[in-house]
Amino acid sequence: MKAVVKDGIAVFSPQGFLDGNSSNAFMSLEDIEAATHIKSDMILVSLKKVVFFNRNGLDIFVKLFAKIRKKNQAVVGFCDYDRKKYEAIKKFFHDELNFSLFKTLEIAHLFSPSFKNLGKNILLYSGDKSQRSAMAIELHDGGHNPVVAQSFEEFTAKAANKNAYDYIIDSTFLGQMGQKVAARVTGNAIIYTITSFLDADIGENFNIEYHNNSLNVGFRLFIFDAYKVISMNIHALNFFSKLASSGAEYNATICFVGMKFDKTPLVFKETMEDAGILFYEQMDDILQNKELLKELGASSASNIKNKRVLNKETVSELPKFIDATVVTLEMMTNAKAMKEAASIHSLSIKDAKGKIASSIGYYGDMDGMIVLVFPEGIAKKACELLIGESTDDAELVLDTLAELVNIVGGRIKTLLADEAISVNITLPRTYQDIESLMEVVANRKGVQVDLSFNGDKFLFFLTR
Amino acid sequence: MITKENIDAYIDKIPPSPEILNETIALLRVGDLVKAAKVAQNDLALKSYLKSIVNKPIYGFKNEVSDVGQIFGILGVSLAQQSVYNYMISLLNPKKWVLFKLNSSLFHDLQANLSKKWENILKHLGCKDTNVYAAITLLSASIIVAEALFAQKEENVALLRSAKALDYNTILVRLCGMGLFDICGEIAQKWDMHPKIAQIIQAASGVKPSEDNEINNFGKWMHLLLFYELSQPEFIAAGLNDFVDFQPEYINDIYEDFASLMEIA
Repeated sequence: MKAVVKDGIAVFSPQGFLDGNSSNAFMSLEDIEAATHIKSDMILVSLKKVVFFNRNGLDIFVKLFAKIRKKNQAVVGFCDYDRKKYEAIKKFFHDELNFSLFKTLEIAHLFSPSFKNLGKNILLYSGDKSQRSAMAIELHDGGHNPVVAQSFEEFTAKAANKNAYDYIIDSTFLGQMGQKVAARVTGNAIIYTITSFLDADIGENFNIEYHNNSLNVGFRLFIFDAYKVISMNIHALNFFSKLASSGAEYNATICFVGMKFDKTPLVFKETMEDAGILFYEQMDDILQNKELLKELGASSASNIKNKRVLNKETVSELPKFIDATVVTLEMMTNAKAMKEAASIHSLSIKDAKGKIASSIGYYGDMDGMIVLVFPEGIAKKACELLIGESTDDAELVLDTLAELVNIVGGRIKTLLADEAISVNITLPRTYQDIESLMEVVANRKGVQVDLSFNGDKFLFFLTR
Repeated sequence: MITKENIDAYIDKIPPSPEILNETIALLRVGDLVKAAKVAQNDLALKSYLKSIVNKPIYGFKNEVSDVGQIFGILGVSLAQQSVYNYMISLLNPKKWVLFKLNSSLFHDLQANLSKKWENILKHLGCKDTNVYAAITLLSASIIVAEALFAQKEENVALLRSAKALDYNTILVRLCGMGLFDICGEIAQKWDMHPKIAQIIQAASGVKPSEDNEINNFGKWMHLLLFYELSQPEFIAAGLNDFVDFQPEYINDIYEDFASLMEIA
C-alpha cells in the first residue's frame, strides 16, 4: 500500500476489515521501508473506509509509526474516525499512546506546519486537561485562534453555535509532535518557525532539502520566526551562517524576526549580520512593508543562479520533457495533443489575461524548470479528473494544477531514470496570473512549445 | 487514457455465451438438474471448472466430487446456476494478470468464497430467488474488466494514484461517464442474464443505490461482502483492496447483522 502525499501530509487509506491477518498484507516490508523515507510533516492512516478493526489490525501501523519517528520525527497517527473508534484505539493503546489521533484529516491539517490558511477560529475540547493545553499551544503556535472549552457541557453549548467557529475539535489526541522546523509559505516568502534552545540539533531538524528545493523553485526571501527562541549556541550560529552563505549564490535573503539576545551572546548577532542575515523586531515590519519586501526579493522570485542558458544536454532530452507533459495531459483530458510550434527564446505569452500557470523544477544530473501556461478554462478541464467535477473555485484549480505538474515531474523523473539520468523534482508552484510567473522567468531563455488539445491551446516552456 | 470507444470495443469483443452453457442455464432455470448435468458434461472445460470449484475447502466436502450430475445434485438449482455463471465469467479471465497479482486459481478462490458466503447471506435473508443467487457471479467480473481496461495503463494509473487516492471505478466514470459496474451490466445483458442481476450489481457498487428497497438491500450486503473478501490477505496482496471505493455509510444499517452472521468478533 502506498501513501498519497498532499500538502505535507502522507495518508494511507486501507479499506474494509483490519485484523491481525489482513494488516500485514496491507503493509509489505517494501511498503514499510518506503514509508520511512516519505518526506512529509505528518504520516497518517485514515480509518474512514475501515469498518472493523481490532488491536492486532492496528499493530502493524503502530509499529510503522515507531519506525518513522525513529527515522524522521514526522507526526504519526490515525485520522478519520468516529467517537466509537476513537475510544477503541485509546483503550487498545492507553499505556503506549505515542502517536496522534485526529478526528478528521481536516483537523490534522490544522496541526501541520504546512497548512496555508492561518488565523482560523477553532473550538476545542478534550477530557484530558493537559491535552487541551497541548492542542491550544500547538494551534496558537500555528497561527490560529483556539478557544478551549473547559468542560463537555461548555463544549456542547459553544459547538451549537457552528457559525462562530471555522473548526470544532474533539476526539483528538496529540501524541509526540514533530520536532522539525516548521515551514510555511506566505506569498513569495518562506517562513520557518524556530523555538527554545537552538543547538547542533538544528541541523537535524531543519529540512535542508525543502530549503534547497525552495531556492531551486525561485524563492528568495526566507524569514525565521524566532520569537520563541530562548538562546542559541555556537553550533546553531555556524548552521545559520552557512545557510546564509549557501543562499548568497542564489541572491537569497535570510531574516530573523523577534530574536532576543539577552541569553545569547550579542557577538553572535554581529557574526550573523556579517554573514548577511538581517534582523527585524516584528514580522509585520517585513510582511506589511511592500517596499522592503520588494527590496528583499519577495515580490520577485527570480534568482541570479538560475539565470543560465539551455545546454546541449537539456535540449537533447527535450522530447522526453514534452512527451511527459503531453502524455499526462492526454491522460487527464482524454484528448489527443498536437504540437503546433517550438522555438527558443524568452517566454512570450499573448493575451496574458485569464491565464494561470504552474511550474516544477528538477535537479541532480540535470537541472532546469518546466512551466505550463493554461487558459483558465483548459486548466479546469485538465483538473477535472482529479477534482471529479467542473469547478469555479480558483484556489482548488490552482491546488490541483500543482498536483498535475507534480505528476508531470514524476513522469520526467522516471523517463530520465530509464537513461540512467538521476534527478529529483522540487515542490510544484502555481501562479494565479502571468505577471507573477514572469517575475520568475522573465529574461530567461528556454524552449517554448505551443500545444493544443482538441483546439484548446496551452504552452510548455523549459528553461534553466 | 481510456475512452468510451475503448470500452465499447471491449464489450464488442466479449463472445456470446456458448450454446452448451445457454442450454445448461435454460434447463437449470426450469429446475431440470439431470438434463442440465447431461448437457454440461459435454463441455470438458466446464466440467473441470465445476470439479475444481466444489472441491475447494470452503464447500466442505469430505470426499472428492467429480461427476457433473453429482455436483449439480449437491449444489441444487440456485447454486448450480451460480456455478455455471461463475464459469462463464472465468472465460473472460486474461491469460496473464498484469494490474492485479492474480492467477486463475486465486481468482477461482475469490469466486468460490464470494459464492459460498453469498449463499449463507441469502439463506439468512430468507431469499430463494435463483437470480439473486446468480448475481454474485457478476461481481468478480468487475475485477476482470478493470484488469482488461487498465493493464496497459498501469504506469499512468500509478502516477495518477500517487497524486490522489482514486479507485479504478471513479477514474473510469470521470474519463468515460461509465464505470466498471455499468460494464458488468452490459455483459449481463449480452449474456441474457436476468435484469435483476445487473440491478443488484449496480447497487453493490455502493455509488448507485437502487430505488427498489429489496434490490438496494441485496446491493448493501453484496458491497460489504465484497470488502470483507477483499480484506483477506491474499486479495490485499493481489492489489484488490482499493480497486473500487468502499462506502461504509452505505452499509451502515446492515453491518451489525453482517458481523454477527460472519462471526466477526
